[in-house]
Amino acid sequence: MTDTILSLEKATKLYSGVPAIDGVDFDLQRGEIHAIVGENGAGKSTLTKVMAGVVTLSSGEMKIEGNGVSPASPLESRHLGIAMVFQENSLVPTMTVAQNLFLGQERFYNRLRGINIAAQQFLQSLNFDVSPTATVETLGSAKKQMVEIARAVLNKAKVIIFDEPTATLTPEERNYFFALARDLKKRGVSIIFISHALEEALTLADRITVLRDGKWIVTDDAKNFDQARIVQAMVGRDLSDTLYGSTKKKVRRAGKRVLTVQNLKMAPMVRNNSLSVFSGQITGIFGLVGAGRTETFKVVAGVLKRDFLHGGEVILHDKPVRYRVPAPAIKAGVAYITEDRKVEGFFETSSIARNIFLGLLAKFPKGRLLLSRREQSDTGTNWIKRLNVRTIGDEAKVIELSGGNQQKVVIAKSLIQEPDIIIFDEPTRGVDVGAIAEIHELINRLADEGKAVVVISSYLPEILGLSDRILVSRQGKVVEEYSALEATEEKIMYAAIH
Amino acid sequence: MIGVLRTLTHSVLGRGEATITVPAFDGALKPNQALESAQTLFQCDAPMDLATDGTNVYLADGKTISRVDEGRPVVVRTFEWPITALAFMPDRRFAVALDGREVRVYADLSAKEPSATFNHHGMHCVNALAPAGDDNALYASEGSLKSDFEDWTLDLMERGRSGRALRLDIESGNVEVLALGLHYAFGAGSMDGAALISESWRHRLISIARDGTRKTILTHLPVYPSRFSPASGGGWWLTAFTARTQLVEFVLREPQYRKRMLAEIDREYWIAPRLSSSNAFKEPMQGAHLKTMGVVKPWAPPRSYGLVIRLDPEGHPIFSLHSRYDGTNHGVVSAIECGKWLYILAKGPRRVLRMAVDGLAREFSV
Repeated sequence: MTDTILSLEKATKLYSGVPAIDGVDFDLQRGEIHAIVGENGAGKSTLTKVMAGVVTLSSGEMKIEGNGVSPASPLESRHLGIAMVFQENSLVPTMTVAQNLFLGQERFYNRLRGINIAAQQFLQSLNFDVSPTATVETLGSAKKQMVEIARAVLNKAKVIIFDEPTATLTPEERNYFFALARDLKKRGVSIIFISHALEEALTLADRITVLRDGKWIVTDDAKNFDQARIVQAMVGRDLSDTLYGSTKKKVRRAGKRVLTVQNLKMAPMVRNNSLSVFSGQITGIFGLVGAGRTETFKVVAGVLKRDFLHGGEVILHDKPVRYRVPAPAIKAGVAYITEDRKVEGFFETSSIARNIFLGLLAKFPKGRLLLSRREQSDTGTNWIKRLNVRTIGDEAKVIELSGGNQQKVVIAKSLIQEPDIIIFDEPTRGVDVGAIAEIHELINRLADEGKAVVVISSYLPEILGLSDRILVSRQGKVVEEYSALEATEEKIMYAAIH
Repeated sequence: MIGVLRTLTHSVLGRGEATITVPAFDGALKPNQALESAQTLFQCDAPMDLATDGTNVYLADGKTISRVDEGRPVVVRTFEWPITALAFMPDRRFAVALDGREVRVYADLSAKEPSATFNHHGMHCVNALAPAGDDNALYASEGSLKSDFEDWTLDLMERGRSGRALRLDIESGNVEVLALGLHYAFGAGSMDGAALISESWRHRLISIARDGTRKTILTHLPVYPSRFSPASGGGWWLTAFTARTQLVEFVLREPQYRKRMLAEIDREYWIAPRLSSSNAFKEPMQGAHLKTMGVVKPWAPPRSYGLVIRLDPEGHPIFSLHSRYDGTNHGVVSAIECGKWLYILAKGPRRVLRMAVDGLAREFSV
């Protein structure tokens, strides 16, 4: 009996005659953790969607335990023992954990207490610390993912596919996810996971498959890879220096102080936080989730409000400011580029050009009398070109773009406002390596042009590679500052934790 | 009426003037203990100011002027009153402010009679002098018209705003008042022909043109800036004699409290910044995390502090040298670059310090 649980041979999927995957061979062993990596548009999602029954193959063959199958729907795939955990989880937020676990398996007469007990026993058997009676919307990303995994295991899945499982997790949650994945592996479950974080693939996976432009490039044991080799296979060129240039040899000198935050308070997240941001420099902000980084800068940008009483001061260009909504902040030259692009970044069913043009209109809090469709189109075309957004045209919908290109649209929306201070919140979360390099290059260019740039990131190599000065945040305030010349991962993490 | 309502609302909500906040020591002002590692040349009795003629460094100590000779003070001249400011002109003429009330200009250190004397216009507290560019004139800063030079704490607690910036024309003997109502002017220099003045209680540097036009060069400092002097390669060495704290900021916004404090408490125990701390248990302290992991943190509220900031020609800080809460070289009121050395006057411990300029930028730039 073969140990291969799932295989694809010469798998091809065409969209309007254009191949998303082209003659891909893939095999998954029983009890194996298999990482699929590749740039956005490489075909990773299509490949896994074929397995999960979301799309069907145009040509080629899929086999489960040696038997040819062709699942036409996710339900069929589930019956075949394949479950997929999507990046945006598929749980019903207003229902409890137990209800979500048994969703679709309801009996004629459901006893709530009964499913709560069953869910409790099942979650305990998996050693998942989640209350079955908790409403899903109250759970953090990691716990939601636990529920997704539990649901897959409950459905007796033999293969679980994770799409960017760690994108929204904190470092501790990520470690917990790794432990879960290894535990599932021990139970004989095979795991496929898509990740843009290459060190995760190297740490967790037994084997790694690299796709590029819809084609299979290489599959090998993880121990035979290093980051440079993966990146080279993914993009066809060596980007390791651009992405993971460890310690900086030179930093930009600070220009004028553009922003001063003094004793800012926004209970319970921001506690007496003080910091400065200078022009012509990249200020990196590192901290664990809950360190109040995002909230501090959302207050600066008028997205959130500081405490009503004694909330501290925000001084922009030497003048105290207090923005209640983002529009005046935008007008004053503050651009905040959100960490959650899908919720706060764009209108996904609108075109790229329209989204970018809306960014421009945000600069006019009272609106503009005349709007020109041509101006919108020209603006879109111009910024698509400037930021190298890969799309079929400026009228393409943002939802149709890959993560990296969506991020570029969000960035374009802010840059069109010609800000003086640009706050990037997790700028490369869920973005492929090729786009990461381009976004990093753009951020560096902005600082070279004399803009004050803030990069909030939970990814230490990104902070170390980009920043000229690094502020470490803990429990709602900045606790340490390092020059990029002296900073190391150990020092930063130590300051962030202790 | 609206103003009164606004003030009342602000005092309740903690906004506007009532925002009790202090900027962070970050960026180029990131704390270090560089001043603690400076070489102590000697201790003096009542040091006031440092100046250089380009070759030697001179110290105003009480009523005397001493030349710093191989690291030791050599008295070169004595006056009848305490010297509150000292400056050399490019042609080696020198100017002294005596007791804050009179400014004299001498042709050289051995000249018996002054070539110009300024003691009119109600001079009261002249605390810094500097050549006014290429003109045959001096810029002077005067802290207060009400408080004496040594009573700067009182001036701060009374929220004094009677400082002045003066231009002293040596040729004509005229005194031109460039600005009135400054919040303790303490430091003077020339920047693009205009007077550059430190305004201590407003924590800023401003330039004042002869027509009275003011421009803010550097503001929102976390310290009380004092005298500054030119640095080689352009820019300035700006000193700060103490740091701001939220506690002092709070007291400054409570007039009734201050009034009683001034009337009933010994001056040394006022909640006010000082040039040095005695660490006496009666001294007021602000509750905060003073130490974390055995290190005194930058946000530890200091009673006294020492700081020298290197500014670029536009007035932007490049790096800074600190003596923090747990240091001793506090109350820095003057820093002068001469040759390869930076001479620093720490008035708290009454010391003259010296540091090699080479490598400072490389070591401390952020």
